[in-house]
Amino acid sequence: MPRSAINNTLIPLYRKLSQKLGEQQAKNELRWMTEHVREIIGETARSDHKEATHKAARIWRNQPAFSEAEIEQTNKRFSSVQWAWLRQAVSDRVDTNKPLQYILGNQPFGKTKIVTRPPVLIPRWETEEWMLRLASLVNEARDGSHKTPLQILDACTGSGCVALGLASELNADSACITGVDVSSQAIMLATENMKHNSGLLRNKVGFRQLDLLHERAAGELRSETGRWDMIVSNPPYVSKAEYEVLDASVRDWEDIRALVPMLNQEGEIHEDPLGISFIIHLAKLAKSMDLSCLRSDDVSTSIPRLVVEIGGKHQVEPTCQAMNDNGFSLTEVWKDMAGTERVVLGYLKM
Amino acid sequence: MRWQALWSAGRAIGYCSPARPTAGKNIVRGFAAAIRSKQELPPGSEFAGKSSLTPRIHAKLQFLQQKHADLTQRMSGDISQLDREEMARLSKDLSDTSNIVEPYMQLLEQYLELKELQQMINSKDPALRSMAQEERENTLSSIATSERKIISALLPRDSAEQAGAILEIRAGTGGDEASLFCGDLLRMYEKYSQLCGWKFSLMSIVNDGEQVKEAVAKVSGRGVFGALMFESGVHRVQRVPATETQGRIHTSTATVAVLPQATNIHVDIKESDLRIDVFRASGKGGQHVNTTDSAVRITHLPSGIVVENQQERSQIQNKERALQILRARLYEKERQRLANERRASRNKLIGSGDRSEKCRTYNYAQNRVTDHRINFSLYDIEGLMNGTALQLVIDQLRIQNDLDELASME
Repeated sequence: MPRSAINNTLIPLYRKLSQKLGEQQAKNELRWMTEHVREIIGETARSDHKEATHKAARIWRNQPAFSEAEIEQTNKRFSSVQWAWLRQAVSDRVDTNKPLQYILGNQPFGKTKIVTRPPVLIPRWETEEWMLRLASLVNEARDGSHKTPLQILDACTGSGCVALGLASELNADSACITGVDVSSQAIMLATENMKHNSGLLRNKVGFRQLDLLHERAAGELRSETGRWDMIVSNPPYVSKAEYEVLDASVRDWEDIRALVPMLNQEGEIHEDPLGISFIIHLAKLAKSMDLSCLRSDDVSTSIPRLVVEIGGKHQVEPTCQAMNDNGFSLTEVWKDMAGTERVVLGYLKM
Repeated sequence: MRWQALWSAGRAIGYCSPARPTAGKNIVRGFAAAIRSKQELPPGSEFAGKSSLTPRIHAKLQFLQQKHADLTQRMSGDISQLDREEMARLSKDLSDTSNIVEPYMQLLEQYLELKELQQMINSKDPALRSMAQEERENTLSSIATSERKIISALLPRDSAEQAGAILEIRAGTGGDEASLFCGDLLRMYEKYSQLCGWKFSLMSIVNDGEQVKEAVAKVSGRGVFGALMFESGVHRVQRVPATETQGRIHTSTATVAVLPQATNIHVDIKESDLRIDVFRASGKGGQHVNTTDSAVRITHLPSGIVVENQQERSQIQNKERALQILRARLYEKERQRLANERRASRNKLIGSGDRSEKCRTYNYAQNRVTDHRINFSLYDIEGLMNGTALQLVIDQLRIQNDLDELASME
């Protein structure tokens, strides 16, 4: 059944999107969607014989063959498969609040392109920003004169974005990065991402499933390599109360374990109005992993040992406190591009 | 070699002290203290005739020499204590001062040489006297070279002087004769550029055979603008034109404008000058939202330029792109400003093209070229017009300009 002309334009899709997102954002998202659909579904599914009949009809009517411009025009049109994908995408986006990153299936992160799949947490730009900043800081502090690679632990790696981003940004063979996560889906996705971006990685990366809340976690990590030099993490930091009022695209789609710290060992549930229980746990873990027993000549004191993303100003104070309590005598806070306190870095003084 | 022979001859008859080279150095060093106490010229300089170095400049040079000596001592001492920055600063200072101090040391020795030669000239031995006379000429010319070196090293270098130049020649008052002269000037500059090894390329020309109404040429090479910058102005010609039937001398003019050719405009963006806004950033951000709003707006505070970008899905990439756009806009703005400045300076350079406003007169009847700005006359119009003698005029202008600048400098 032939569709009416209006149906085969992007206008209705744009209208639908703009009701939810506003005009400018709808325009952007629709652009990214159409770019994506051309890329993944590729060449239009138009068959040759259809072209041939068109041609014959034109010759019959004494019309010239298709001009360059006309051919380009037809190539610009979407095939029915592409139209179906676009309609589905817009309806997912509007009706079920599916994040665009899940619809498109990837998100750029530094040099890497991270595959995104529900329910693993989508890489955020704030994380990308501090990862790049951290990488340039470490590169500057270790200007190739150090032989042994840094042993870096990416706690709560999720899609593996921080681990892979660091591996692509840090000087070649200057680090060895291990990403751990409680979720097996996350580890699968992270491993997949490692394969996708293998051409960009200049340092060794590995992923393994591990519950950091488990009492034997520290021991296991310690036995894995002789030493750990740095822990980076984008841990869950959304409090329960905040979670209730989160945007539907986050709450309905992303893994709650990546968002809300759930510290319920031995059946007890901690009161955690600030959402910092996991960060505190991480600081303790860092202490029990003996980050401080390093040889001072090998790793300079100028690089941070514990790098933790936080949710904003309200978490700065308790995070710094937790780091101080666990031997990180010096702390630094980085703000993100939007001016929000985003990262706390703990340093060890020798 | 000649000096060696002369020196031994001088020593044989007792005019020079036997230990002259070392003694000379000692005098050079010891002089530093003397000149600072009272402003006096270095020994031997009184024989050098007219010098472009005033006592004040000598005092400044003495100061620099002392600084250079201090720096050398520091660098040759224990440098392991210094950190990298300090080290870099010291070695830069050292190389800066040695550019000036080295020719100055040479000059001081040449003065001493001159002094001794003067003594020999006063001697009774005619052979020795003529030899010394000859040697004196050489020394005088090398003194002049050293002085020029010192002056040019003392002056801060305008980076534009190293760049290429745009040369514009237009016929002024005088009708056909003016455009004939305009063509002559164009040929003169072309030949001069060839002699200097510069690339001379015409950008546009309005002509009718030999008669050139207007010509614009690009001259590229090292130090082009520095040499040609003084050519700007009204050039006046006095001759019997080829178009004149009754043999009367006409006076016509052509205007010349030389503008620096800005090769690369440097755009430096300071982090502190930027205000970066992430759109709709009022919320908590981070894990709390899953934004696809990747728009970034950068405001360059000094210029007020605002750049916005939301092309990419990543804020970080958008920021990079916005910075690139900002850099391009600043570049364009700077270029525009320079172009305006150039237009203004061209108007200032040329003046109205009136006969009385001349900077140089070419008088064919008297075979004379006079530069009115420095009152310098050269009797070789042939050599000038085929480019070979132009260097002499330019040298004089250069020296005068350098001295003026030095005098105005503290």
